[in-house]
Amino acid sequence: MASVRYREALNQALREEMHRDEAVMLMGEDIGVFNGAFKVTQGLLEEFGERRVRDTPISENTIVGMGVGAAMTGLRPVVELMTVNFSLLALDQIVNHAAHIRYMFGGQVKVPLVVRMPQGAGHQLGPTHSHCFEAIYLHVPGLLVAAPSTAADAKGLLKAAIRDDNPVIFIEHEYLYGRRGEVPEDDDHVQRFGEAAIRREGSDVTIVGVSRMALTAEQAAETLADEHDLAAEVLDPRTLRPLDLDTILQSVHKTNRCVIVEEGWPHGGVGANLAALVQEQAFDYLDAPVARVTGADVPMPYSKPLEEIAYPHAPQIVQAALATLRDV
Amino acid sequence: MPRLSDSMEEGTILRWLKSDGDPVRRGEPLVEIETDKANMTYDADQDGEVEIIAQEGQTLAIGQPIARIRAPGEGSADPSGSGRGGITSGPAPSAVAQEPVTAPTPVRSDGRGTPEAKRIKASPIARRIAAERGVDLRALTGTGPGGRIVRADVEAAGASSAPAQEEEARAPAAPAAPAQVPGAGEVERAKGEVSSQELTRSQQVIARRMAESRATIPDFVLHAEIDMEECQSLREQLKQLGADQPPPSFNDMLVKASALALREFPRVNGSYRDGRFELHSRVNVGVAVATEDGLTVPVVLDADRKSLGEIARASRALAERVRTGVITPPELSGGTFTVSNLGMFGIKRFSAVINPPQAAILAVGAIEPRPAVRDGAIEARRLMEVTLACDHRILYGAEAARFLARTRELLEQPLALTL
Amino acid sequence: MLRYRRFEMAERVVAPEERTAAPLPEPERAREWLATMMLIRRFEERAGEMYAKAKVGGFLHLAIGEEATILGAARALRPGDYMISTYRSHGHALARGTAPEAVMAELFGRVDGCSRGRGGSMHMFDLQRRFMGGYGIVGGNLPLAAGMGMACDYLGTEDAVLCTFGDGAANQGTFGETMNLAALWRLPVVFLVSNNQFGMGTALERHSAVTELHKRGESFGVPGLRCDGMDVADTFTVCAQALERSRSERQPVLIEARTYRFRGHSMADPEEYRTREQVEQWRARDPIVSFGQRLSREGVLGEGELARLDGEAIERVDRAVDFADSSPFPEPPSLYDDVYVLGDQVGGWYSVDARTPTPHRGEDERAMPRHQLPGGAGYESEHTTSTARPIGAVQGLPDETDAEESDAEETDAEGANPDRARPDRARPDRAEREG
Repeated sequence: MASVRYREALNQALREEMHRDEAVMLMGEDIGVFNGAFKVTQGLLEEFGERRVRDTPISENTIVGMGVGAAMTGLRPVVELMTVNFSLLALDQIVNHAAHIRYMFGGQVKVPLVVRMPQGAGHQLGPTHSHCFEAIYLHVPGLLVAAPSTAADAKGLLKAAIRDDNPVIFIEHEYLYGRRGEVPEDDDHVQRFGEAAIRREGSDVTIVGVSRMALTAEQAAETLADEHDLAAEVLDPRTLRPLDLDTILQSVHKTNRCVIVEEGWPHGGVGANLAALVQEQAFDYLDAPVARVTGADVPMPYSKPLEEIAYPHAPQIVQAALATLRDV
Repeated sequence: MPRLSDSMEEGTILRWLKSDGDPVRRGEPLVEIETDKANMTYDADQDGEVEIIAQEGQTLAIGQPIARIRAPGEGSADPSGSGRGGITSGPAPSAVAQEPVTAPTPVRSDGRGTPEAKRIKASPIARRIAAERGVDLRALTGTGPGGRIVRADVEAAGASSAPAQEEEARAPAAPAAPAQVPGAGEVERAKGEVSSQELTRSQQVIARRMAESRATIPDFVLHAEIDMEECQSLREQLKQLGADQPPPSFNDMLVKASALALREFPRVNGSYRDGRFELHSRVNVGVAVATEDGLTVPVVLDADRKSLGEIARASRALAERVRTGVITPPELSGGTFTVSNLGMFGIKRFSAVINPPQAAILAVGAIEPRPAVRDGAIEARRLMEVTLACDHRILYGAEAARFLARTRELLEQPLALTL
Repeated sequence: MLRYRRFEMAERVVAPEERTAAPLPEPERAREWLATMMLIRRFEERAGEMYAKAKVGGFLHLAIGEEATILGAARALRPGDYMISTYRSHGHALARGTAPEAVMAELFGRVDGCSRGRGGSMHMFDLQRRFMGGYGIVGGNLPLAAGMGMACDYLGTEDAVLCTFGDGAANQGTFGETMNLAALWRLPVVFLVSNNQFGMGTALERHSAVTELHKRGESFGVPGLRCDGMDVADTFTVCAQALERSRSERQPVLIEARTYRFRGHSMADPEEYRTREQVEQWRARDPIVSFGQRLSREGVLGEGELARLDGEAIERVDRAVDFADSSPFPEPPSLYDDVYVLGDQVGGWYSVDARTPTPHRGEDERAMPRHQLPGGAGYESEHTTSTARPIGAVQGLPDETDAEESDAEETDAEGANPDRARPDRARPDRAEREG
């Protein structure tokens, strides 16, 4: 194991996959000469040249569409969008084309495209740069959605995403880029999609944390253990589609309580979806309503104190977990 | 007048299909009735001779007699309707008034009944296990949120009283379980009348700041037990010294001790704000004081530089100003640390919510004689438990612990407080 | 009464705008051009009838009047070139060699349709013939074309891309974005504006400040050409020039083909935005009539040959209708096929399927033996098993044989439908993967 930053782990994944497969190429705004807005693509232009690492104009819809076209005709493009909010400009190509082409043309082609984008609040970037849109992409059949929370998963899932024959929306988190984590040092650390990680075992309440919130959920679990003598089981689904619902359900069978934590909005969110699945599949195992801790139902404000309270923190998760057990 | 639809309250006789005195057999069409929904034919419900009471065109409430069916050959009946042969037409008015429109449904053992019946609040898994083990949920008291019966309740009941439950089930007369079920109305009124109260300005501020604190501050708490024997004797001595002045309270000593410790641990006296630490040059200790509608925190400014007597006078004056409602905003602001004492209520230990942007708050319990081990022997000592809640963004365990240890040291050897 | 309006030889000929007539190809090719334009015309007329009979659902956008633009462009392509079109794409598929049976079956929503009944009128597709699809989003196909051009370039092939779109699409953001990128990266893509002079019902003058659309690429560095979209020979000549230039000079070219659709935008179009006179004027320049006249005039077509070719087209379309009518609808269990390629690196649930007893899709299907899988569902991914794949061995190429002979049967080139073509391989079961 080596201690590696999340952004370095992503960089390793890109580099290794580009060495492994000549068809893998990168496109994105400022990923080359500038080395990437978040330095994920640091050094790759130098190493692989302009043919394989392409700085693009600021034309999100078109660069994603080009990625789709290239993926249909033999390449495995990895398109970087600077933030998840900018991906909305490319929503047409992502939904109408990347996700639908294989189905709408009767399975004749595949679209092995990866669209990477960071999301998340905490850096005072205001209402057009800070949101969390896993739910939007989770909504769309035909897309796979990954949201790694650790350096190891960032690397392993990105490698799997690049090798996968489906279009993958790969959602990174700005807060996580600088965080270190242990990454296996083997040549080929690939993390299969659809396998949730059990970050912490416990028997009193299941906490499912998505993206960065997997980490926040772990903090909350510590508090629950230290101050309330409760053993929370923390799950990180790692990929939202495909979803390892079995692991989540097994945990709920054990704990009979489930709290879902996400940074995005509550309406139609990942948690709303997962809560529905859990109650459908594990109704007779529930001792309390499935609880959600989500970002506030507002555009992300700029001002620090407002931003701070607009996304979930450990104390809220602790409260939500306690509320599944007793009156608080 | 028979009830021929769910919403029918009265009906109109359209046409008699039999004439007065005609013989009629059970099931034969007898009369056409217009209801609120449709025109319906009503069949005779027994054999006999028809004696028409209500004429065509007449509108009657349900339950009113419209005809009588006499046994063949029987003479004209008493018009009051008490005669043998009965009334053809549905429930008596009194019965209608007494019986609810819906038929009573037996209450099922799983707690689900008609919508009107009391629904037992039990979690899905509790219901499932109860059904599997034959546990009657009505006999259980829920320990979950809002009194919900949860898995543990059913399992406990299943373990202890499963045979008893079975026995009860065999004895249908046993009223024990249903007797525990409050009636529908009782549940609706269980919390009594709800009155809604507007928050005062200070309550609004407290609500907002406390919520903000909980939402944004990753806190941790430290507990410590402080031996207050020495403070007690110090207080006795001071009482004798200053004849006219009331001696400093234990709380004043706490303020002084924590102020001195704060001076040594500037981060405890600081704030986490906008991703940086703010350290304050002054040590201003707030003292939480209960008010009629909430609480307020007057601040003893420069508590580290004030003598114990000055602190005592200042805090007494502040408390008095709070009580009389003349406290001013400047006297409530500038705090860098807060002491909250509920010892006077006999509270042994509690944890307080950090008052942002302060880094910590000290919650103080009652001083009580308790067994303590001193020099290997158990003796009764006046002990006090304190709980320090800390903002983990600026304070870390070891530093906070050292601060608390220093505070304790100052209180256990309180001579320094008098300097 | 005749079922079809005949191509009258006596109709007035309007000369294509001050241009010397483009040269004709060799006679056999010229006859094929005419025959295929007739096929497209007759096909679309029948499609319109089938729409009225409710055999065809949804929208039906006919390109009647635009056949010369369609065919001239398609015939300028090499077999390895990609063609990509819009929601008005029946003709492009037919011109590229897709069997009329497969196109009609697609319109009927049948399993033998060229998109297996998934796409309908707006979403024809034939990978085999490198017809890369019709697309329902106006302007949405431009970035795809640039991406395909990028792949051609990246893979070092001589293939090029021809992307057709309408005058309305020239106002989409993707137009400017794609022109810029294609020019910047010197991509071998020919963009062909089929300027039929209406963006749906909005006339060119009312939707574009600059109505000479071929000029609209200039500021991006994309040279513009124009052609007479009512003249198949002219369209062919200009498209061939543009493709040659694009291929050899590695740069995009924009062509504006002036054309006209004789029918409404879709079947539900009362055509209140244009006059009958205007339609009649353009009808007088019917691309099929005028090309037929020219071939007769120049001795390529003999006596009665025009009628014979027309009769063959009508027969061919009749067969297509019969075929489509007898083709089955897709089976309900195929509903979830081809939403995903299911490789072994993917586990968990990929779809919520409330219609099945276990309301999700994913694990169960992966555990099923291949022969029990719903038809066509693919569970293999090349990239899971082979790590070093030679690039460039990509998607299907049109076969060189006569389209009419080959198109009825299923032929699977490498990658054309990997799921169907590839032999079964043992999949590790779930327990193994978890272990």
